[in-house]
Amino acid sequence: MSDTPNKRTDQHGPGTYEVRIAGHLGQRWAERFGVPSLAHDDDGTTVIRRVFADQAALHGLLQTVRDLGLPLVSVTRIGIEQQT
Amino acid sequence: MAAPLVATKLYAPRLRPGSVRRPRLSGRLAPREETRLVLVSAPAGFGKSTLLAEWLAEATAVGRRIAFLSLDHTDADPRAFWSHVVAALQRGAGVGETMAAALEAGDPPDEDLLAILLNILAGVPGGVDIVLDDYHVIDRAEIHAGLAFLLEGLPEGSRLVISTRADPPLQLPRLRARGELVEVRAADLRFDPAEAADYLNGTMGLRLTAGNVADLDDRTEGWIAALQLAALTLRGRADADDFIATFTGNDRYVFDYLVEEVLQRQPPELRRFLLRTSILDRLGGPVCDAVLGTSGSAAVLDGLHRGNLFLMPLDDRRQWYRYHHLFAEVLQAHLREEAPGDVTELHRRAAAFFETQGETESAIRHALAGSEFDRAAALIARSIPELRRSRQEALLRDWLKALPDAVVRANPVLGVGLVGALLSNGEFDGIDGRLADAERALAQVTAHGVASDAQLDEVPTQIWMYRAAMAQVRGDMPAMMAAATRAAEGSAPGDHLGRAAAAGLLGIACWTGGDLERAAASWNDCFLGLAATGHVSDALGSSVALAEIAVTRGRLGEAFRAIERALRLAATRPGLAPRGTADLHATLAGLHRERGDFAAAREHLATSRQLGDRAGLGPYRCRLGVAMAGVAEGEGDLATALDLLVDAERAYVGDFFPNVRPVAAMAARLRIAAGRLDEAARWRRESGVGIEDETASLREYEHLTLARLLLAEQRAARSGRGSAELVEFLGRLERAAERGGRGGSLIDIALLKALAHGLRNESGAAMASLERALALAEPEGFVRLFADLGAPMAELLGNALRRGVAPAYVRELLAAFAPVRTAARPETGEQPAEPLSERELDVLRLLRTELDGPAIARELEVSLNTMRTHTKKIFEKLGVNNRRSAVRRAEELNLLQRRPR
Repeated sequence: MSDTPNKRTDQHGPGTYEVRIAGHLGQRWAERFGVPSLAHDDDGTTVIRRVFADQAALHGLLQTVRDLGLPLVSVTRIGIEQQT
Repeated sequence: MAAPLVATKLYAPRLRPGSVRRPRLSGRLAPREETRLVLVSAPAGFGKSTLLAEWLAEATAVGRRIAFLSLDHTDADPRAFWSHVVAALQRGAGVGETMAAALEAGDPPDEDLLAILLNILAGVPGGVDIVLDDYHVIDRAEIHAGLAFLLEGLPEGSRLVISTRADPPLQLPRLRARGELVEVRAADLRFDPAEAADYLNGTMGLRLTAGNVADLDDRTEGWIAALQLAALTLRGRADADDFIATFTGNDRYVFDYLVEEVLQRQPPELRRFLLRTSILDRLGGPVCDAVLGTSGSAAVLDGLHRGNLFLMPLDDRRQWYRYHHLFAEVLQAHLREEAPGDVTELHRRAAAFFETQGETESAIRHALAGSEFDRAAALIARSIPELRRSRQEALLRDWLKALPDAVVRANPVLGVGLVGALLSNGEFDGIDGRLADAERALAQVTAHGVASDAQLDEVPTQIWMYRAAMAQVRGDMPAMMAAATRAAEGSAPGDHLGRAAAAGLLGIACWTGGDLERAAASWNDCFLGLAATGHVSDALGSSVALAEIAVTRGRLGEAFRAIERALRLAATRPGLAPRGTADLHATLAGLHRERGDFAAAREHLATSRQLGDRAGLGPYRCRLGVAMAGVAEGEGDLATALDLLVDAERAYVGDFFPNVRPVAAMAARLRIAAGRLDEAARWRRESGVGIEDETASLREYEHLTLARLLLAEQRAARSGRGSAELVEFLGRLERAAERGGRGGSLIDIALLKALAHGLRNESGAAMASLERALALAEPEGFVRLFADLGAPMAELLGNALRRGVAPAYVRELLAAFAPVRTAARPETGEQPAEPLSERELDVLRLLRTELDGPAIARELEVSLNTMRTHTKKIFEKLGVNNRRSAVRRAEELNLLQRRPR
C-alpha cells in the first residue's frame, strides 16, 4: 500500500485500481480501456489495472464496461498516487 | 441545423417481421391504473428496444398516444433534452406547441415551465405515454430532477416509460412500494430455453437439437444479442455441433467471440464496409460512400438490414440507419486493431461530408475525433452566434475544451467564445489572461479563414464587454465604466447584440455612478438591440431599468412609455408570455399607484400574479411584493403592507441592477408613517445612515428616508431641535439631485423641505418649497409622493389651496389623502372563487411543508390518486398551476392561519 499514515492523501485524486470483469476479453480491447494489455486469469476473468486521474475517470471506465454488457466482478483500489 | 437529427430521434423502433413475440413481457407494459413509471432496465443487447417495439405496435393499434424519444449525446443539455421531449409530444400527441416556443425563446426548463407541461398533459384525453429510450446517456442532475418533478405530477392515465442500462435516480423504491412502478429487468428479458428454441429453430430455422439450444442458452445466459449473433454464424454451417462445442468450451467475451465468427464469414468487401462505417452514429448511403470513397453503399445498407445484421432503421424511408450499439463497439475495436492508421482519416471524411450537408454538430464531432482541429475550430467559430442565442453555452464549452488550448488561444473568436461560455457558468479563473490572448491574437490575425470578418469585427467589443463584466464582479465601478464605454464605442454597426450588451453594461455603470441621463440613453440602446435580435426577455428586463430610472428623474410619462413599449414587444411572441412580462405588470402597477389610480394598479397586480413566477425574471418576487405593499399602504392596511415588504426583502436577489431603493428603507418609511418610530430608528442604526453622510445617488433613497424619520421625531418631540441641521441636510441633497438630473428626487426633497420649514414656523419658505414641488410634479401627474407624507402634508396643501396655488391639482392631491376604499378588493380575487373544503385545506397546509406528494398522501392516510385529486381541485379553486403558486396564493388569502391544528 502506498498510503503513508502521516501524509494527507487525496481520496478524489489519482489512484491505481484493478477492475475485474467476467470473461476473457481479447487484446483488441486494451486501447478502449486505456491500458497496454489485458490480463486473463484462469478463473475466466479479465483484469484491467491502471492509474486513474480521478474518480470521474474511473466512472468513465465503468460506464464502458456497462455499455459493452460485461459483467463486473470487482473494483479494488490498489494504491493512491501522491500528488506532486 | 439539427433537424434531420431530431427526426431520427423521434422515430419509434418497428418490430422486425418474424421476431419472437413475447406477450408475457409486452403485456406488462400495457397501461394499468396505478402505474406511473414503466422501467425497462437491463444491460446492452438484452432486447429492450425490441420489447418496446413489440409493445408500441400493440399500443398504437389500440389508439394509445405515444411520445417516443430515443436519447443520445445531444440530450446532455437540459434545454436540448426538454426540447426533444416536447418535440416527441408534438409528434405523438399533438400538444406542446407553446412549450416548444418558450424553450426556443430561451426560457429555462425549470419547474415552473414543467408545471405548464403537466397541465398540457392533463388536457390529453386518455393520457399519453412518454417513452425515453436509452435514458442511461443522461447524467445531468438537473435533468433527473426535472423528470422526477414530471413523474410526481403526472396526471392520471399518463405514464413515463424508460429503457436504460442503469437505473435512473427517480425514487424507485418508493414507487415500487406503492405499486406505481412496473419493472422489466434482465432476468425477465433473457430468453428462457423455450424462447431460445423458438427463436433458433423457428425464426432462424436452424434445426438444432434440444441439447444444442440448451448449451447456447446457457453459454449466452439468455443474452439475446449474443443468441442472435450465434444464430447468424450458425446459419448455413454444416458443423453446428463443433461450433457450439468450441463456443461453450471457452471463456471468451461472448459478444466479441461471436462477432469475430460472423465477420470471418463475410466477404472481404462487406467486412471492410462494416469496420469502416462503424465510426458513424448514423449511417446513410451518401455518408458511407463518402467515408469509404466508393459508391453503392445504399444498396449494401439495404442488404445488411435485410440480412438482419444488427442494423436498425431510423426512419420509414430507409435513409438513415444505425448499428446496434454493442455491434458498433465491437466493430470499432476490430477497426482499431486492424487498421489503426485509418481511423483518423475516416473521421475526417465524415466531417467533410457532414460539413457540406450543413450538419454542423456532426461535422464538429467527427472533426474533433479525427484530430482535425482547424476544421473543428472554423466550424465551432461559425456556430457560436447560434449557440449563444439558444443559450447552449455548455455545449460550446465542451467543444472548445476538446480543442487544444493553443488553438483556442490563437483564435480571437474562439477565445472570446470560451470566455463567454465560462462566465455564463460562473467560472472566473483565468479570464483576464484569455482576454489578453484574444486581443493579441486579434492583432496578429491575417485573413486565413479563422472566422468571418463580421465575427472578427465583433471581437474588440466582446473583449471590452467581458472586461467590464469582470470589473463589475470585482466591484471596480470606474474600471467597469471605462471598459463598458470602450465596448459601446467600438462596436461594429451591424453587431446588434454586441452593442446591446455593451450598452446594458454601460447603463448599469452610469446608473450606479449617478449619471442617469446617460444611463437612460444606454438602457434604451440596450432595449433596441435586444429587441432587434429577438432577446425578448432581456429586453423586458432592460425596460424595467428604464422605468425605474425615469421615475427617479421625475419622468412618470416616460416610465409608462417604456413599459408599454415592452408590453407590445412581449405580445409579439407567440405562445406563453415571455419571462419578464410579470415584472412589467408589477412595475406598471407601481406607476399607476404613483398617479393615484389604484383600480388600474390592482388590475396589473392581478395580471402579474396570474402570469406568475414562470413569466418573472430573477427579481420578480421582490418587485411584486413591493408593488403589492404599495397598494396595501394606499388602502390604509399598513400591517399587510409591512408583511409584504418583509417577504419582499427576503425574496430580494442581487442582480446586476444597483439596489437604489433598498426594501428595508421602504419598510422604514411605512413604520414612520405608522408612527412606529422606535422600529424606524432601529433601521437607522442597522443601515448606518447619518445626517453627516456625503450625498451619493446610490444612498439618496435612504437619505430621504432618514429625513422623514428626523421630521417625524422632531414633530413628536414638539421641539425645533435639529431642524436647522435637517434643513441644511435637505439643501445638500437638493443640490446633489439637481446636479444628477434626478427630478423625481427633487420633488420629494422640496416636499420634505416644506415640511421642515413648516416645523420651524417658516411658513413663507415652506410655501415656496411646496410651490416648487407642485410645479415639478403637476406635468407628470405625481400623486403619492404627496399623499404618502400624510397629515402634515395635507395641512400644507390646504394652506396652498387657500392661497389659490395650482387649485385643480391641489384639490386632486387632497382627495388622495383619504385611504383608498377597499370596495374593489374582490375583483383581485381576495377570496377564492369557490371555498376550499376542510380536506383541501389539510392538503394545502401539507403542501406548504417540504413533504413530497407520496409523503403527504401517507400523512393524510389517503391514496396518492385521492391526494392528487385534492391537489388538482385546490389549484383550480386558487387559479394556479403549481404547488409553489398555490402556497403563495393561499398565504395571500390567509387560508392557512385560520384553523391551526
